[in-house]
Amino acid sequence: MNTRRIASALALAAVLGTPAAAQDRGGILNFARYDGSQLVDPIYADRNPDIWMVGSLFDTLLRLGADGKSVEPGLAESYELAADGKSVTLKLRSGLTFADGSPLTGADVVFSLDRARNGDLSSWAGLIGSIDSVAADGDRITIALKTPDPTILTMLATFNTAIVSKAAFDAAPGATDQEKSAAIFAKGGPGVGSGPFYLCGFEQGATMDFCANKGYWRQGADGKPLPYLDGVHFQVIPDDATRILKLQAGEVDVAEFVPFARVAELKADEKLNMELFPSTRIIYSPINVRATRADGSPNPLADVRVRQALNYATDKAALIGLVLHGAGKPMSSPLMAAATQDAVNMDPLYGYDLEKAKALIAEAGLPQGTKITFTTLAGSADDATIFAALQQMWAPLGIDLVVEQVDGPTRGAKNRSGEFDIHTYGWVNDVNDASQVVGWLGHTPTANAVGTGWEDATFNGLYEAAQTEMDPAKRTDAFAQMQKIYAEAAPLLFMYETPFAVAVSNEVSGYVQTPLGANVFEEATVSR
Amino acid sequence: MQSLAYIAKRLLLMVPTFAIVMVIIFLLVRLLPGDPAIAIAGDKASDADLAAIRERLGLNEPLLVQFWLFLTNTLQGDLGRSILMKAPALGVILDRLPTTAFLTLYAVTLSLLIAGPLAFVAALNRGRWPDAAIRAVFQVGLSMPVFYIGLVLLTFLAARARLFPVGGIGHGFFENLHQLFLPAMTIALYTSAIVMRNLRASIIEVLDAEYVQFARAKGLSSRLILGRHVLRNALISTVTLLGLSIGNLMSGTLVTETVFAVPGVGRLMLEAIFARDYPLIQGLTLTFAVLVSAVFLLTDLVQSWLDPRMRLT
Repeated sequence: MNTRRIASALALAAVLGTPAAAQDRGGILNFARYDGSQLVDPIYADRNPDIWMVGSLFDTLLRLGADGKSVEPGLAESYELAADGKSVTLKLRSGLTFADGSPLTGADVVFSLDRARNGDLSSWAGLIGSIDSVAADGDRITIALKTPDPTILTMLATFNTAIVSKAAFDAAPGATDQEKSAAIFAKGGPGVGSGPFYLCGFEQGATMDFCANKGYWRQGADGKPLPYLDGVHFQVIPDDATRILKLQAGEVDVAEFVPFARVAELKADEKLNMELFPSTRIIYSPINVRATRADGSPNPLADVRVRQALNYATDKAALIGLVLHGAGKPMSSPLMAAATQDAVNMDPLYGYDLEKAKALIAEAGLPQGTKITFTTLAGSADDATIFAALQQMWAPLGIDLVVEQVDGPTRGAKNRSGEFDIHTYGWVNDVNDASQVVGWLGHTPTANAVGTGWEDATFNGLYEAAQTEMDPAKRTDAFAQMQKIYAEAAPLLFMYETPFAVAVSNEVSGYVQTPLGANVFEEATVSR
Repeated sequence: MQSLAYIAKRLLLMVPTFAIVMVIIFLLVRLLPGDPAIAIAGDKASDADLAAIRERLGLNEPLLVQFWLFLTNTLQGDLGRSILMKAPALGVILDRLPTTAFLTLYAVTLSLLIAGPLAFVAALNRGRWPDAAIRAVFQVGLSMPVFYIGLVLLTFLAARARLFPVGGIGHGFFENLHQLFLPAMTIALYTSAIVMRNLRASIIEVLDAEYVQFARAKGLSSRLILGRHVLRNALISTVTLLGLSIGNLMSGTLVTETVFAVPGVGRLMLEAIFARDYPLIQGLTLTFAVLVSAVFLLTDLVQSWLDPRMRLT
């Protein structure tokens, strides 16, 4: 028995608060989802309902450890990063197969990684832009890099570099790679992936079925191959209330994305475990920092003192109480969720201090009755609550907050064009590394510092240097400096972090939603 | 023969209608604020990604070129590729259409079964307590939002009493009669309120008509009078009403299918709009337009069958 595996199983059991009991095997887990998958493929998965399912069907060369931060062997039993940081060599486990029993070889790895780094195919190609070439010699894989890349090992444990069967793609009908992928997904079956499950049923918008891959290489606590389940049956139930009713009626075992308003009620239900899985989701509001607004008028928010004042005048605890019914915590790093690597704990980040806020506003000379527009998502109860709360919280500063309601794509377009004052936004990491979220929120060339127009040469320089910094300590230090600069400049209204709220029947244990959102069924069991 | 010619003429008249519908669909979708490229690629996409998507979808072409492509492709039965589903839009729609058709017909049937007998009872007891009671109950049904009726039915009949499953869809006709009972009932409760009021009024009108008075005077049995004269004549306006409310029924499915997790075209429409899935929105709107036209035509045909005075000309 592998001691590390036992340790991680125990760690998992400890996280779930249940004793490590004798293994239940078999059974189907019934899972109510908020939205359906469209195409679960490592490189075409671009929506969360797709991305979060990739890992169940496709395995990666490396895996994230149980702590969510370290990297462990996956399909590759060993790996080595060259001293100059410009290549990675990996050795595949022996006897690896796809779920249909066909062998998984170096050729499949080369095919999968070439596909993943092809910018014409994958919108995630930029994440592994450092790869120069991938070659296989028997079970030895060599990945040559153009430049040293501190994130490369993490990327080899990320969904977009998961391994697909070259033979399945060669045989699939279709003129393009995407058509082939869609044909493979529509047909289902065990031939394409080597994950713990394979797709064995799919009705667009209604249901999806995963069946256990009997030849999966990882072993459970009982020494037999994972997964413990025979399969997972997903039902798409977009309405929150219906999804919970379905769980309460015993028709499903798990209901995900429970609205926070219902968490307390479901916690009290003895037949359920109300899980609040730690996540990398942050809720924040970008503030337009440009000297003038899009209409040419002067922008009061260009003054850093005003932005700081707004942050001090925002009572995060009250917001968390109102919106999350207590099931969340204030952001403690200005650039990332606490669960992200390299997050600095600055708690309290702009702790509530109305007097300080008023002083800053006076110092900035902001006229009483200054009108600021807060753009929210139409139909979002959370956003409506946030607006109402901020309107009251900021009124003592002499700010007249008005609301503008738009839908998702419109909000995205406004963010890019800079036609906003402040708007609600959220983020979940796709990658277990700080560089993705820091690039998004602060690095001006990446996304205009999340549309705010904020630009800081020191920050950008630190960020760019961190992209090739192979010394972990120096890289951590660079991210710490970036967080300090960013907190000071306050281009965001720093709000809160939310967990993934999932209601699970008592008959289920071992189901996990990772901080990145991925649904993990590998070690889940049902006992009925 | 005459009615065949009538149908041909009606079909021909639909050509200009659809030409206008196509222009409106095309423009409406493009008037929606928000960039479909952002809807597709998500907020995290880079500007280069967005540019590539616009190029791939032809969103950079002039509007006239885009419209010409839309028109010619549609005439060839090609509604384009759904952005959201990453599959041909027509296939996606046809996959989901039977479910909505089933649900709608089920709801219409239920509402007639509920409203018909009660309308008769109310009309025959005009002004007395059964009439007042029936009208009061339906007034409540009419004034409640569809989603609320749905949630109430779900909570009590499905989650508590376990008489029906909580949402979802089954396989086969009979399983779905059970599975889709609650969503159909939700739509039916609302529709039957309208039908009941209308049918009651029509029955009263017919009961007062001279030919019914005459039939009574002739000594015909009340069963014969009600069946042959009253029902048939009163149904004419109800058929018209049902035909005209096809649009209402369709929009009812938007909400009902979401609440009850029924994978039909109603819910698909909502998903497509939120995702700015131009091809799918266009395809669905066109499908709805075809369905509404077909139902209007059918309504006219049934009307003329019920009432020979309405000559098909």
